[in-house]
Amino acid sequence: MLKNGVSPKSPRNLLFLFEVLSLFLLFIYQWESVNRYTYITGIGLIFIIYISNLILNRISKGDNYIFLIVTMLISIGVIMIYRIDSELGVKQLIWLSFGIFIFYLTYFTLRFIRGWQKWITLYIGVAYILFILTFILGTRKYGAINWIQIGSFSFQPAEITKILLIFILASYYSNTEKFKKYKNAKYYIMLIVYSFIGLLFLQKDLGTALIFYGIFVAIQFIYEEDRRLILYNLGLFAIGGIIGYGLFDHVKVRILTWIDPWSYIDNKGYQITQSLFAIAEGGFFGTGLGLGHPEFIPLAYTDFIFPAICEEMGLFAGIGIIMLFLILVYRGFKIALSQINPFFRILALGVSILFGVQSIIILGGVLKVLPLTGITLPFVSYGGSSVLSSFIVLGILQVASEDLPIDEDLKLEEENNEIRD
Amino acid sequence: MKSEIRRIILVLIVICLSFVGIIGYMSYFQVFEAESVKMNSYNKRLWINEENILRGSIADRKGRILAYSEKQDNQMKRFYKYGSLYSHIIGYSYREYGKAGLELIYNNQLLNINENSAIDELINIVAPNTIGNNLELTIDHGTQEKARALLSGKKGAIVAMNPKNGEIYAMVSLPDFNVTSLKDDWGTISEDANSPLLNRATQGLYPPGSSFKVITSAAILKNQALSNDYKCTGTTTINGYVFKDYQEGGHGNLNLSQALAQSCNTYFTTKSLELGGELLRNTAEDFMFNKSIPFDMPVKISSFPSGKLGDTDLAASAIGQGKVLATPLNMVMVASSIANNGEMVRPVLVKKILSSDGKVIKLNRSETISQAVDSLKANEIKEMMVGVIREGTGKKASIRNVQVAGKTGTAENASGKSHAWFIGFAPVSDPKIAISVVLEEEGSTGGTSAAPIARDLIIYGLNNINF
Amino acid sequence: MFNLLSILFKYVFIIIIYLFIFSIIRLIYLDIKSINPVSADDSAYLKLINRMDSLPYKIKEHYSIHGQLTLGRANDNNIYIKDPFVSKRHMKVTEDEGKYYLEDLNSANGTFLNEERIFDVVKLDSGDIIKVGNVEFLFVNRG
Repeated sequence: MLKNGVSPKSPRNLLFLFEVLSLFLLFIYQWESVNRYTYITGIGLIFIIYISNLILNRISKGDNYIFLIVTMLISIGVIMIYRIDSELGVKQLIWLSFGIFIFYLTYFTLRFIRGWQKWITLYIGVAYILFILTFILGTRKYGAINWIQIGSFSFQPAEITKILLIFILASYYSNTEKFKKYKNAKYYIMLIVYSFIGLLFLQKDLGTALIFYGIFVAIQFIYEEDRRLILYNLGLFAIGGIIGYGLFDHVKVRILTWIDPWSYIDNKGYQITQSLFAIAEGGFFGTGLGLGHPEFIPLAYTDFIFPAICEEMGLFAGIGIIMLFLILVYRGFKIALSQINPFFRILALGVSILFGVQSIIILGGVLKVLPLTGITLPFVSYGGSSVLSSFIVLGILQVASEDLPIDEDLKLEEENNEIRD
Repeated sequence: MKSEIRRIILVLIVICLSFVGIIGYMSYFQVFEAESVKMNSYNKRLWINEENILRGSIADRKGRILAYSEKQDNQMKRFYKYGSLYSHIIGYSYREYGKAGLELIYNNQLLNINENSAIDELINIVAPNTIGNNLELTIDHGTQEKARALLSGKKGAIVAMNPKNGEIYAMVSLPDFNVTSLKDDWGTISEDANSPLLNRATQGLYPPGSSFKVITSAAILKNQALSNDYKCTGTTTINGYVFKDYQEGGHGNLNLSQALAQSCNTYFTTKSLELGGELLRNTAEDFMFNKSIPFDMPVKISSFPSGKLGDTDLAASAIGQGKVLATPLNMVMVASSIANNGEMVRPVLVKKILSSDGKVIKLNRSETISQAVDSLKANEIKEMMVGVIREGTGKKASIRNVQVAGKTGTAENASGKSHAWFIGFAPVSDPKIAISVVLEEEGSTGGTSAAPIARDLIIYGLNNINF
Repeated sequence: MFNLLSILFKYVFIIIIYLFIFSIIRLIYLDIKSINPVSADDSAYLKLINRMDSLPYKIKEHYSIHGQLTLGRANDNNIYIKDPFVSKRHMKVTEDEGKYYLEDLNSANGTFLNEERIFDVVKLDSGDIIKVGNVEFLFVNRG
C-alpha cells in the first residue's frame, strides 16, 4: 500500500480541479462584464494556492495537511465572495496573497527566533496598548467599536489580541515553575484574561469575548493544577452572562432574537431569519452557483458567508466546510500531542481551540443554534484583519508541527515537573 | 503528564461533538423545518417568482372566476372578486401579510412551479414559464353565497358536500374578513377575540352534542343484544352524575329509532354502559375521529377520548359531550357516509388544476377513505334519520316533496350558551347534498335554529347546483 | 446555458469537496495507523524526521527503545528498512543505566550522528540526529 508512497498529490489536484471548474463557471456567469480583474482573480487564485502548497512541502518538514485544508476553505470562500461582489473577490485575493506572505513570515520568525516563552510581559503590554488604541481611535462598525481606521485602511485589533492571548497563556503554563515564586500568579493571569473579556464586552464585541473565554477555559482546563479555578471560571461566566443580560441591551437583544427571531423578523431578528431562509432555500444540493439570492442576506460576504454558500452550493457543501474545520482542528490537536516543546504544544492547542471555537460560534450563530455574534468564519469570510490573523495563527501551527529543540533551561524545568508528577 | 493528554483529548472530543452537533442540527433543519421556514412571507425569494409569473385564476365549478391576476405597469396585481366570501377558502396572497388558504397551499401550482424532480427544476430554469395554472373548485358560487347569507349575523360554520363523490359545494365560516381591504383591517382582524382568521369549518373543534348519536346508533346496531326497548323516565343517574332530557318527565317506552328521533339522552347514556367504551371508540374512529382527514386544506383532528373510560365519561361521550370534539367538516362526512351506504369519501375542494391553455393537469377523483359502517346498518340509520325529520327534533328541516334525513344537536359547552347543530342530507332516495351546520354559542336547540338553515340551503342547492 | 451548467456543476462541486475530504482523511488515517503513539512511559525513542509519505518503503514514525534497538535491512531487526543504502545489520542503540549508546555494526555506508560518521560507540543526547542511508531519525530522551 505504501510502496509507491502516499503523496498529497490527489487532494491537491482535486483542489485544483475545483478551482478551475468554479472559476470557469463564474466567467460564464459574468460573461458580459468579464474584464482584467476577472482574469487576475482566476489565475491569481490558482497560482497562489498551488505554488504555496508546493513551496511549503519543500521548506517545512512538519504537517502538510493543514495548509491544504485551509486552501480548500479559501477557495470556496473566494469563489463565493467573488460571486457576490467581484470587486471584493479581487480584494480578498490580494488579502490572501498578503496573508500567505504573512504565513511564511510568521513561520520563519517563530522558527528562528528563540525565547518566545519568556516575553509574557511584552504580550500583555501590547494587548493592553491595542485595547487602549481601539478605545481612542476606534470607529463603530455594525454596532461594535472594534475597528481602527488609519487612512483607507481599517483593521480589527482584537484579531491580534486573540493571538497575544494564546501567547500569554502558553508562556504562563509552560513556565509554571518559574511563576510559582509569585504567590498569586494564577489569579493574576485570570484577572488579566477577564480584563480583556471585559474590555471586549465594552466594545460590544461579544463574539470575540466568547472566543477569548473559550480559549482560556479550555487551556486552563488542561493545564491548571488548581481545579477549583475552573469552577470559578464557569461560575463567573454564568454570573457575567446574567449581569450582561440585565445591564446591556445589546446582550439582551442577542438572546431574545436567538430564542425567537420570528417575532422580531422585521427588525432585530432580520439577519438571522434571512440566514435561515437562505439555508432552507438551498436544500441539499443548493440552487447552483449564481442562481440563488445571497444578496438578500445581510453581510453575506463576511459573517454570513456560510448561509450564502449553503444556498448556492447546498447543505452538503456546508457540511463539507464543517468537516474541513473538524479535520483542521483534529490535525491541530494531533500536532499539539506530538510536540514535545511545552510552549509550542500549548500554542498549537490554543490555535486549534481558536479555530474550533471561532467557527463553532459563527456557524452555530447563523444556524440559530447559538446566539448570533458578529465574527468571521476563519479563511472563508471576507476581511483583511481576519485573513491576516488567521494566517498568522496557521503559521504558528505550522511551526508547532515540526520537531523543535527544547531550550536548555526549559528542559531542566520540565524534568522537575515530571519528577513531581 | 498522563492527565494532560487525557484532558487534551477531552477538549478535542468536546469540540468535535460540537461540530457534529451542528451538522446534525443542519440536517434536521433541512429535513423537517426548511419547508415551513421557506414559506414565511418575509422570505423575499417567494416573491421573485411572483413578479415574473402571472398567477393563475381560481374559478368555481361553473367556471365563474373568483380570483385572478393582472399585469399592471409591470406589476402583478391580484384581484379577489368577492371580498370576504372566500376568505377561508381561497385566502389571500399579499407581500405584507403572506399567504393563506388555497393561495398558500396551491402556491406552486398557481405559479406553475414544479419542484418535484431535478428534471422539472431544469425545465424551470432553462425555459421559465410566465403564466401559472388555474384552479377549478368544486364550490358552487351560488350555494356559497346562499350559505353565507343564511349564516350572516351568527358565529359558526356551514359545510355542504356531495355525499357520493365528496365535492364540497359550500364552506362558510363566520366571522370572516374582507381580503380586499386586508391592509386597512389587519390590526383589528388579527386581534379580534372572535378570531375571524380561523376557518371554523376545518379548524374549529366543537362538542357535537346529539348529532354524535348517529355514531352511537351505529355502535348500538353492531351489538344486536342492545336493540331491546327502554323506558325513559326523563333522567338517569350514572355514578352520581345526572343526565337529563329536554322532554320533562321522559319519553316513555322507546326503541332505538324513536330514541334517535326524540334525541333521548337517557336512552343513549344507559345503552352506552352496556356498549362499552371500546366499541364506541372504534365506531367513532371508523367515522374518522382521532384520524387526520385528507383534504386540500389542513383539518384539525376530531377527538374521541382514549384509554379506559369511566362510566360518566363514557355516557357523556355517547351523547357527544364530555371530551368528544368534532370539526363541522367531519360531521358533514358523518352524514355523507350514512347517505352513501356507509362509505365515507374523501372531501374534495379543488376539482381540477388546468394549464393556462385549458388542459387538465390534475383531476381530483373521489375515493373512499373509510367504510364507516356496513350498508345494511347505514340504511337502518338512514331510516331513523328520516324519522328525526318526520316526527322528531328536526321537523323544521323538512321540505315538501323532498325527503330529508338528519340529526339535530344541542351541545353544552364552557361558555354556558349551547352550540346548535344540524347534520343531514337529501333527497333520501338518491342523496345529492349533505350538510352540517353549527351555530357557535347560539343558546338555542339545533332543531329550532340550525335545522331551518340547513333546510333553506338544501332547497337552494337542489335547485341550483349542477350535480 | 449558464443555468444548466450551474446546476450540473453544483453536483460536481459537492463530489469534489467530499473527495477532497475523503482523501485527506485517508492520508491522516494512514498516517495514524503507522504511528505507535508515544506513550507516556516511553522514556526514549527514535522519531522519523523524513516525511513518511516521501519514503518508498514501510516505516513507522516512532520507535521506542527498550534495552536495545537494532536497525538494518534484514527483517529480524527492530527497525528494518528496505533501502539499498542500508546494510543487513546496520546499527544499534543500547541502553545502559539510563544512558543510551549508538554503535555502527560495520555497515557499508556508515551511520551518521549529527552529520558526522561514527566509528565507535557514542553516547546519545536528546535532540541528536541519526542518519542511516536516506533516513533520518531524531533521538529523544525524556528520562
